[in-house]
Amino acid sequence: MGQMVYIPGGRFLQGSPEWMLALLDQADQPFGRQWFADETPPVARELEPYLIDRYPVTVGDFRRFVRETGYRTEAERRGYSLVYGRAGWQELPGAHWDASGGPGVRIDGYDDHPVVHVSWGDATAYARWAGKRLPTEAEWELAARGPEFRVWPWGDEWSSANANTTELHVDAVQTYGDWQAWWAQMCDRDGVVPRSTPVGAFSDRGDSPYGCADMAGNVYEWTGTVSHQYAETTECDPTVRMAFGRYRVIRGGSWMNLRYQVRCSERMHGDPTGWATFAHGFRCAKSA
Amino acid sequence: MVKIVLPGVWAEGGKSTFDTEAGPLPEVVKRFVAENPAYRRRLLGPDQEPAGYLNVCIDDVLVPRQARAATVVADGSTVTIIPPMAGG
Repeated sequence: MGQMVYIPGGRFLQGSPEWMLALLDQADQPFGRQWFADETPPVARELEPYLIDRYPVTVGDFRRFVRETGYRTEAERRGYSLVYGRAGWQELPGAHWDASGGPGVRIDGYDDHPVVHVSWGDATAYARWAGKRLPTEAEWELAARGPEFRVWPWGDEWSSANANTTELHVDAVQTYGDWQAWWAQMCDRDGVVPRSTPVGAFSDRGDSPYGCADMAGNVYEWTGTVSHQYAETTECDPTVRMAFGRYRVIRGGSWMNLRYQVRCSERMHGDPTGWATFAHGFRCAKSA
Repeated sequence: MVKIVLPGVWAEGGKSTFDTEAGPLPEVVKRFVAENPAYRRRLLGPDQEPAGYLNVCIDDVLVPRQARAATVVADGSTVTIIPPMAGG
């Protein structure tokens, strides 16, 4: 892969307008307004031109990196990584980028899927090897939706056929209990393996205005930006507030999420000290 | 007493702040789970010990994973549980 898209940069408002939170409040989803408050208020950003990967880094891309450098991921060095099993998150011994369901779980045909089980440090090491870097949060959001606000990369109308979210795999998942029931079925059928899809599987219909693919769903993506509040006055969930200054911003949501967690302005915050899971990957950027 | 703060989206019945007794950090977490079993799956691993991948702040200080076993939570403190992926 390694195909990059040129983004001309410029000025835009990063984050969600107030009406987006009002819409979330009215939507059939269980989270309160405060949960999404970290994506408000919109903040003016001015970006220089840059390039960003059209696709997330794939297992095949990462294999070339490992072959050339002998790199061992933090999950490999530590001896385990996180997967979501029937009983919730668990540290699975032997799980890593080339054994995403753990040892003995052979998954063929994953070379064109996004690489997972990569920590923030692993993603940074790959990017450096590739002569790139992780995108900033602002670069990621601009690439996902263009200079004008839009809810999802393709527009404001949701379509479950445009992205790899839980809604691609099953209808009528609205609560955590529904999700767990679906996931238990998947575990029984296929084992604890990522439900990722080959990168670009939803192109062109799911692409961003710049032609970036998989920016909604598939895998969560690390960015280079330290988690922070857009405005000191915003009241966020206390646990999210504790992540500010400590975590790195994660964008895009994943196959584990429903539609509202894969919006272009949705923010998550990840522990950058070695933590990795079977749903977290990344893409790279570079200055133009 | 110490205050336990959980992510808002974990809240059962809209409550995400709780009180429990002070003591060694692992015991505080396990006591809280015993008092509030709905959070067992969120807070304890398969070995019924506090899940190592969850971060813990006492007041504003992050307690490193390797230091948690020896950490004592003093009366009046606030213990905030931060999942490795916060928000969303």
